[in-house]
Amino acid sequence: MNVVITPAMVGQVVISGLLAGALYSLVALGLALIFGVMRVINIAHGTILMLGAYTTFWSFHILGLNPYLSLLVSMPLMFLLGVLLQRTFVRRVVDAPELSSLLLTFGISIALVNMAQLAFTSDLRSVEFLTGAFLLGPFAFSKSRVISFAFAVTLSLFAFWFLQRTKLGKAIRATSQSREVAMVCGINVQRIHLYSFGIASALSAAGGSLVAVMVAIQPEMGQVYTFKSFLVIVLGGAGNYPGALLGGMLLGLVEQLSSLFLTTQVSEAVAYLLLVLVLLLRPTGLLGGRST
Amino acid sequence: MKRAFQVGLAVLLFGLALYPTMASGYGIRFMLQLFMWVALAQSWNLISGLTGYVSFGHVAFFGTGAYAAGILVTTHGWHWVPASLAGGVAAVILALLIGYPCLRLKGPYFAISMLGLNEVMRVLVSYFEGLTGGGSGLSFPTQPASVQIYYAMALSALAVTGAAYFIITSRFGLKFMTIREDEVAAEAMGIDTARYKLGAFVLSAFVPGVVGGLFARDTGYIEPISVFALIITITMIVMALFGGKGTVWGPVLGAVTLFVLQELVWARFLFFYQILFGAIIVVVVLLMPRGILGVLQQRYHLPRTI
Amino acid sequence: MARWMRQTAGLATVLIVAAGLWTPAAAQAPIKIGASLSLTGTYAALGQNQQRGYRLCAKHVNEKGGVLGRKIEFVVYDDQSQPATGVRLYEKLITQDKVDLVMGPYSSAITEAVANVNEKYKMPMVAPMASTTAIFKKGRKFIFMMQSPAEAYLEGLIDVAAKKGLKTVAIVNEDTLFPKATVQGTIELAKKKGLQVVFVEAYPKGNTDFSAILTKMKAANPDVIGAATYFDDAVAITRQMRELNVNPKMYGVTVGGDLPTFYQLLGKNAEFVYGATQWEVELPYPGSKAFLESYTKEYPGVDLSYHSAGGYAGCQVLAEAVKRAGSLDGEKIREAILKTNTDTVYGGFKVDQDGFQISHKMVMFQWQEGRKVIVWPDELAAGKARFPTPPWSER
Repeated sequence: MNVVITPAMVGQVVISGLLAGALYSLVALGLALIFGVMRVINIAHGTILMLGAYTTFWSFHILGLNPYLSLLVSMPLMFLLGVLLQRTFVRRVVDAPELSSLLLTFGISIALVNMAQLAFTSDLRSVEFLTGAFLLGPFAFSKSRVISFAFAVTLSLFAFWFLQRTKLGKAIRATSQSREVAMVCGINVQRIHLYSFGIASALSAAGGSLVAVMVAIQPEMGQVYTFKSFLVIVLGGAGNYPGALLGGMLLGLVEQLSSLFLTTQVSEAVAYLLLVLVLLLRPTGLLGGRST
Repeated sequence: MKRAFQVGLAVLLFGLALYPTMASGYGIRFMLQLFMWVALAQSWNLISGLTGYVSFGHVAFFGTGAYAAGILVTTHGWHWVPASLAGGVAAVILALLIGYPCLRLKGPYFAISMLGLNEVMRVLVSYFEGLTGGGSGLSFPTQPASVQIYYAMALSALAVTGAAYFIITSRFGLKFMTIREDEVAAEAMGIDTARYKLGAFVLSAFVPGVVGGLFARDTGYIEPISVFALIITITMIVMALFGGKGTVWGPVLGAVTLFVLQELVWARFLFFYQILFGAIIVVVVLLMPRGILGVLQQRYHLPRTI
Repeated sequence: MARWMRQTAGLATVLIVAAGLWTPAAAQAPIKIGASLSLTGTYAALGQNQQRGYRLCAKHVNEKGGVLGRKIEFVVYDDQSQPATGVRLYEKLITQDKVDLVMGPYSSAITEAVANVNEKYKMPMVAPMASTTAIFKKGRKFIFMMQSPAEAYLEGLIDVAAKKGLKTVAIVNEDTLFPKATVQGTIELAKKKGLQVVFVEAYPKGNTDFSAILTKMKAANPDVIGAATYFDDAVAITRQMRELNVNPKMYGVTVGGDLPTFYQLLGKNAEFVYGATQWEVELPYPGSKAFLESYTKEYPGVDLSYHSAGGYAGCQVLAEAVKRAGSLDGEKIREAILKTNTDTVYGGFKVDQDGFQISHKMVMFQWQEGRKVIVWPDELAAGKARFPTPPWSER
């Protein structure tokens, strides 16, 4: 009953994989930033993505704002929320065992998701802005996904440039390499933590805004992205920023190709098996990261 | 003091043993689910509370047990008691298989790998539908057995709490705690950390497997998404943490408090219940990371064995 | 003990009324009907719709003088969309709250679990939102089905396809109880009608990316595509079919395609999509108009879906059965329900000895210019199917 797989089909899912992967990279880069700088696994990362998506929905729905322009709203807004969360809650568990930060961010996450349910209801919402596809030979390129891809790649590269070249970016990297040395060099580590959480949340929000144009959204949409981001940062090496970019693309491809050659059902398991394998063979990720 | 505690405990157990003779169907179902949570929270305590390795996918053992027992009952006609025990054995085998490689991972990596394990198990169960019914789930014979399951759940909770008591009060337990505080130092002291960690892991997997089998029989219907749910892991962790992880009675106290609270509160505050649950987690983590018992122990210098 | 007393009280009421003594309904304690519904969690939106149906039914029954001279009143809890919680709550309703009657929860999975509880207490349960056949074929005596079985959801699609001379079918489904039953049924129907099933694949619950499945499906080049899913996925699949330029001659969805939001979310892309539904408001069933009017009055601005109508009608069936049984005794009500053969707001109601529904009819509609036009079966059809579905590039 099943289909013979042709090269054109492989090509099509590779396209889908890369289009999805760029988004994973963008979102995971945020998670990697928080983990790299503070050693905190932020389960609320996907929740912030969801809030970003709703920001886009409402600004489109009420103000008629172009959803891609709404990144200019959702990113600063979630930057502020991120800073607020860091200041009030996360700051207190930075040095605690990982269980504390896992649970704390999980608690924040379910509280926020359910508040969103109260405020927005659990109805599906969608931003009908761009549907359809560019057709190129046997391949179809979803318009919304191609544009999201372009935004995701640009933002990721920009974030990357920011980390590499700017003073603040260098301070963030220094802190993630060694907090003590960073302090000795006169870096205000608390401030760096605040900025990192804020920037990470803004990246996640950008991901959410882009997702909102691609698929219908609802308050529980975020968890999937949190999990995928885990996969990405572990694959790429936690705290390793180029690794997160590579890991995102890799995850996108692995998911799509295993859905094609096996079934969509097992593709999730394949991704996790890959993760466990990578962890066992190279406990610090594919490109190597910091060990704990 | 100690004597009074023992007498109180004996009276409580006696009362619980007689409870089904006078309780309503709801009372029995409520209590047996309560025992289930006690058993789960305490099991998690055995690995994570004692050794510090955070198992973020402990529900994998619960689900595995539920399905192992489910298959034995529905397709092989086993009685649910041996089937549930077999569920425990299945969970132990799983723990042995994955424990050795995964316990080499440290900190957050172990937590994430356990999370992954649970996802993998869920997918596998869905995939092999000839055996498991896949996404259609498994349904059990309809004859109710709540009272018997009540006692079986109670025994499971008692057994795992007994194990926790035994370990925490023994020299054996001190070795676990050494691993928790400083694994390198433990190794240097000549503790075979790999073996001890694996031991605790396997021990902590058995009862969730059994309880999974009992739960499946009692609910009468299981599906992959309901027995491999992340929220079950989170709930057992929060219960253990709330009462006080690494203690004997903390997980019991946490499970009882939160489960009763949930039953009383959520009917009244439908949409706020989850928000409240989130808030409780945040408050516990920030204000009393050692749990209720941890706070009491510190303040009143209670013995470690409580 | 209390149950015995209540039964006696019920009997006494009947005797008093029979004796011609008028007892004001309000003077007596109301008859309590218990139900747990998915008010939060995955099925929250649908469970809430069902609850509105229950509440509206209680209101109408009471306006007409209640049942056995007493008012009826719902006791509803939230099962958070989880079977284990549902089981505990029905146990609570029956043994703790001592409700007199129960109504079913939302979804097949939860009904499957709680059916053991009402069975244990010999409480008849009309389950308006369970359509998986297996639930009713286990020898249970006290559960009754309201709607057409899951297996029949895509019957209209296959039937029309066969009449139009189409040859091949592909199916995509969520890997859970209800959609899987639909797939089983559809495969059988297709065989019977001489269509070849060329591709079937399940995806896990919560999946949002269908590119790989749809790519394979496109390669299989089926004439007909059926999606056995819930609402979220029906939306996502439709949208991604357009993005991957998948062009079947007919495309139909099961649950959710009937909701007005489906069209709102997809806009023009929903055009030509076929949908299966248990019920539509314009179907010529008795009392439909009045139901619509009072629903919009009671719940202004709320979407009316078949969940509300099913809940409403299920509760009506129960109330009628209790009246005819003349008592709250489970066995007697069961007998009365088994003998029921009626047309409700929701369509035909008649069950066989297993409680399996044999009278209710599924319908299929097609989205045409933003409206749902019923196109199957012929005797209920309000318009003609726009066939074939044009390729995306020509819309």
